[in-house]
Amino acid sequence: MMNYAADDGPPAITIRGLRVARGAQTVLDDFDLDVRRGSLTGLLGPSGSGKSTLMRAIVGVQRTAGGTVEVLGRPAGDRELRDRVGYVTQAPSVYADLTARQNLRYYARVLGAPISDVDRAIEQVDLESHADHLVGRMSGGQRSRVSLATALLGEPEVLVLDEPTVGLDPVLRVQLWELFHRLAADGVTLLVSSHVMDEAERCERLVLLRDGALLADDTLPALLARTGAADAEGAFLELIEKADSEVSS
Amino acid sequence: MSTATMTSAPAARSGSVRSATGPLGGLVASTRAELLRLRKWPAVWVLATVWLLLNLTFAYLFNYIAYATGSSGFSNEGVPPDALLPDLLPAAIPSVLTGGMPMFGGAIMFILGALAAGSGFGWGTWKTVLTQRPRRLPAFGGTLAAVGVAVVGVVAATLVLDVATSTLIAVVEGQSIVWPALGPLAESAAGALLIFGMWAAAGVLVGVLTRSPALAVGLGLVWSLVVENLLRGVGNLLSGIEYVTDVLPGTAAGSLAGALGAGGAGDPDGAPGVLTVLDGGPAALLVAAYLVVFAAVAALLMRHRDVV
Repeated sequence: MMNYAADDGPPAITIRGLRVARGAQTVLDDFDLDVRRGSLTGLLGPSGSGKSTLMRAIVGVQRTAGGTVEVLGRPAGDRELRDRVGYVTQAPSVYADLTARQNLRYYARVLGAPISDVDRAIEQVDLESHADHLVGRMSGGQRSRVSLATALLGEPEVLVLDEPTVGLDPVLRVQLWELFHRLAADGVTLLVSSHVMDEAERCERLVLLRDGALLADDTLPALLARTGAADAEGAFLELIEKADSEVSS
Repeated sequence: MSTATMTSAPAARSGSVRSATGPLGGLVASTRAELLRLRKWPAVWVLATVWLLLNLTFAYLFNYIAYATGSSGFSNEGVPPDALLPDLLPAAIPSVLTGGMPMFGGAIMFILGALAAGSGFGWGTWKTVLTQRPRRLPAFGGTLAAVGVAVVGVVAATLVLDVATSTLIAVVEGQSIVWPALGPLAESAAGALLIFGMWAAAGVLVGVLTRSPALAVGLGLVWSLVVENLLRGVGNLLSGIEYVTDVLPGTAAGSLAGALGAGGAGDPDGAPGVLTVLDGGPAALLVAAYLVVFAAVAALLMRHRDVV
């Protein structure tokens, strides 16, 4: 993989004043965020906090009501970004009646990636033994890995992964996080969402969301020091309590 | 999973994605991808096989059994068995080719189009495809082009099957083999492409509208097999309705098949759905117009709608 410039230079993702509304409900309001190049950032928060919406806005498939989202210096969804940003949706987005290899060959053709990328991506998610199995007959975790492999085709500089470890066994989760770290070490910027707080320990930086608002954007050690909590979940609860008390006062 | 196998960056990756190729390159890439998908998709082969078996059974098998045994069945009631043989020989291919296409074949092509476009919503793959390199119109154009190639393939396979079956019957019955003139054969093949293309495009449109392959297939079958026939029945009873029913997609496709010699409702050996409401020229134009409108509206919807 190409080694992209890491922490120097402008952020990989810059969000200013983002507002997303769904009907009368405001999902994200006046949202700001910077994501450093070559970092592994965890996007954490309970279900319905706006994580998926934020990710969709970053890949440019979310209708927004205001603000700007820039990825690698271009507006989100810009044509120039299409082969530089990999996106894995929360639900696996692969054809169940094709095999894993056929799905990857399909996406490689869409992307214009060479066929050799297919075997490499299958190897990266450790699906060699199931590469020629129909996706419809795979377990949920295997389907998720096929979906993840599609995002590894080509040379994505930014990977936006929406809950990629849901349904995976603990061993596999650990190994996928190791893969994410190696990708980040190679200069890829990863934004990984999760509603499981113990995954916070695996991220370089944490972005905590609640009800569409940014609760915190910091490293885990800094968050623990700031809140006095023992773990990420405690820190998150502390921050919620603090935010609620500020609102009520 | 062994940690050692989870590599992140093989050296071979560098420079792997081809340079930007514009809308045409995106269309070609998407078409290649969709052709791969349709080729590897069991549903496509099942649909094509079902159609070919229907065509073989209703165009040749039942009529040949009736001719050979001197009996009559539901599809050739009132026709002397000897009169069935000419329609079973190679010279009759231009008139036989489109006989089952307006209704049953059209319904199968509708399902093909609905599944090809709608399954991308069902499996969530459109969301991912539309964030990849091709822009929306070239990406969706790839689906339309691949469905078009599938339609051409099915029509070609139907033609080959008809030639093989009619030749076999001619040989078995000791008849001289007279090939159809190229002009009528080309007209019939073009008509077949229009009829199947229109129904497949209708399937694509309803697949995009409903964002659900199952709902699209259900609606399409109800429309093509039930609603149009009911409306035509009402049109026969109430004056004024026929101005609408005469220009419905099924009417246009049936009239085109009828004009190509497939036989109308008044023809005892005519297939269901074959009509004589419109002349050949207007019917062909109307079918072509429907094909273009269905495909264009589907493309516009894909272009402008939010991807959910």
